[in-house]
Amino acid sequence: MSAGGGTGGPDSAILEQFRRVGRDLFLAGAVSSHGGNLSVRLGDRIAITRRGAMLAHLEPRDVVVTGLEENDANVLLASTEVNVHRAVYRATAAQAIVHAHPPYTIARSLVCDEIVPVDSEGSYLLHKVPVVHAELTAGSAEVAALLERWLREYDVVVLRGHGPFAIGHLLEEAYQLVSVLEATCRILHLADALRAAGHEVREYRKGSDRYTEW
Amino acid sequence: MTVEGVTVTVHPAGGLWGSEVPAALAALRERHPGCEAAVIGPAGERLVPFASVVNNRGRSLGRGGLGAVMGSKRLKAVVVLPDGPRRPPVADPERLDFVVYEATKLLKANPVTSTALPEFGTAVLVNVLNQAGALPTRNHRETQFEGAARISGEALKRGYVSRRAACRGCPIGCARRTRAGDESGEGPEYETVWAFGAECGVDDLEAILHANYACNRAGLDTITMGVTIACAMELAGEGLLPGGPRFGDAAAVVALTRATAAGEGLGELLQEGSARLAARLGRPELSMSVKGLELPAYDPRGMKAQGLGYATSNRGGCHLRANMVGPEILGIPKMVDRFATLGKAGLLINLQDLNAVLDSLSVCKFTAFAMKEDYFARLLGAVWGEPVEPQELLLSGERIWNLERLFNLTAGFRRGDDTLPPRLLREPPPSGPSAGQTVDLDPMLDEYYVSRGWDAGGRPTPGKLARLGLAGLPAGHPALAAALGGEAAPAAGNGVAKGGAR
Repeated sequence: MSAGGGTGGPDSAILEQFRRVGRDLFLAGAVSSHGGNLSVRLGDRIAITRRGAMLAHLEPRDVVVTGLEENDANVLLASTEVNVHRAVYRATAAQAIVHAHPPYTIARSLVCDEIVPVDSEGSYLLHKVPVVHAELTAGSAEVAALLERWLREYDVVVLRGHGPFAIGHLLEEAYQLVSVLEATCRILHLADALRAAGHEVREYRKGSDRYTEW
Repeated sequence: MTVEGVTVTVHPAGGLWGSEVPAALAALRERHPGCEAAVIGPAGERLVPFASVVNNRGRSLGRGGLGAVMGSKRLKAVVVLPDGPRRPPVADPERLDFVVYEATKLLKANPVTSTALPEFGTAVLVNVLNQAGALPTRNHRETQFEGAARISGEALKRGYVSRRAACRGCPIGCARRTRAGDESGEGPEYETVWAFGAECGVDDLEAILHANYACNRAGLDTITMGVTIACAMELAGEGLLPGGPRFGDAAAVVALTRATAAGEGLGELLQEGSARLAARLGRPELSMSVKGLELPAYDPRGMKAQGLGYATSNRGGCHLRANMVGPEILGIPKMVDRFATLGKAGLLINLQDLNAVLDSLSVCKFTAFAMKEDYFARLLGAVWGEPVEPQELLLSGERIWNLERLFNLTAGFRRGDDTLPPRLLREPPPSGPSAGQTVDLDPMLDEYYVSRGWDAGGRPTPGKLARLGLAGLPAGHPALAAALGGEAAPAAGNGVAKGGAR
């Protein structure tokens, strides 16, 4: 099944977006060979990566179009997280979702309940990213319920031990949030290391002590 | 009408009636020192369908003829006295300060809101749109204007701006005070420069300023005025308006604007707007309007989703309901393929819903060049003292949009009215970056309706109305029920819906 199949949608344009983001995510180390998933909303349908697709090598068969509200045969092929994506689309005005497994973000999610950036870019774009947890971390109803709740308020949320889910009006927007968050978590890691080595980590932002209230 | 606290008093207009906008405002400010006022000019009094309302800071409610509505009530002015309504209480002022600080950081970091608009005003867009081949020219016959540089924001700054201005508390400051010859005043904005300029084939910025001042004095929408003159120019070129103006005639633009303000000469014909003018002369397709409202300064053949926005705007050809110049030209929030037909309906809908909310909050849309919806939700949450989810805000916008749609459906508008002038659908621009492009509207409308949760006729489905908490409306409004297909939607279960609706 190809992107846009049965929707009259722009197959090649959607596929090209998926390819660009998928390849970048892999090259940045934000997903392993077969990890992560992407989707965009097409009215009452969604285009989502195929279960087990290699994001760095997406072909037309790797993007599946299925219903937003209802299943059809294509759900056989869709990402394990399809019901999570559907729940988020139903609960928000998101037009695109990116889910990845970036290591610094995942590591940070193991030690905190929210990620508060110390770098400038992360501060501007994120302020604060909630970390949520579920017993069944992949594609479960519990994850769907958590994310549809938290993504109403925040554009990116991290599922502990699993990775971020980001929403946007465009796929590129959601991808940017995942990318910035990973950079933020790398910087947090480095800052922690410097602090542990006895260096003073200095504050340069007015009001940053309130970012936890964002 | 004066507003003092909660007391509203209606007074005889007396000598104010008949006065031009500046005189009326000056008299009111003298009579009520420190007041804020909004008035109509002679155009509104004469019920010119594109009459505006102008406030004492020189800003206009330009589009849609609200000035004629005030005129029809014989209401000259609304004056809020200094000890009138106070600011609403802020539940959490510390949090409001925090969010305002963070929001201001974004406005100051974004080159659109920190540099381009403050330095050049909205007319900064003239050169940008011209380079993109999306600057409608000579009644939309072309999409690039050879005289663009001479009427650009840069030229305006060099030759005519006397000082910058800003709405109260605004860190952007996009407004201009200008002087040309012995006249001075507010503006012109980008749309005005374009309407009297490129759209009329005029590259004389001083003439454009004089036409702008004439509209300010009379209380006229500059977009409709300019596009109507452009329509008259094309009709004259076709031999249908003997003695009418020709493209490029700067003096005629000024003279016709003044004649329309006075309701004299050819102005008597022009004051009905381009749709009626073109229809009267047997060429309705030469009116560059949607639902009777003249199009603003972005050519849909170079910005396809802007065309979808015009076609679906509830008040007709308007860029203020959702302006795709962000994603299609400026790359805000991200650059999209401006020539692509499909895949942008969802983005447009988000903008329409957000703008509906921003209008309700009285927040300037330019802030949205830098800020996403979550900032507005957090600002409102601080004022209310309880969290507001961004999605809740967008849902409010979606409800507003659908309510307006239901109003239009009841008034008889149908899918066929969600369209563009035939020229934009069938006549490709002859040259420039948009050469060969037309708008393939039908598939865009299909995608838009599905994304809105409407049926193929552009009518909200019962399920959509239920999710918006509007399911009970048709039952109470037979005309609406009939417009929706004669079937009343199921009654609402729990009043206003919360949560995602699309």
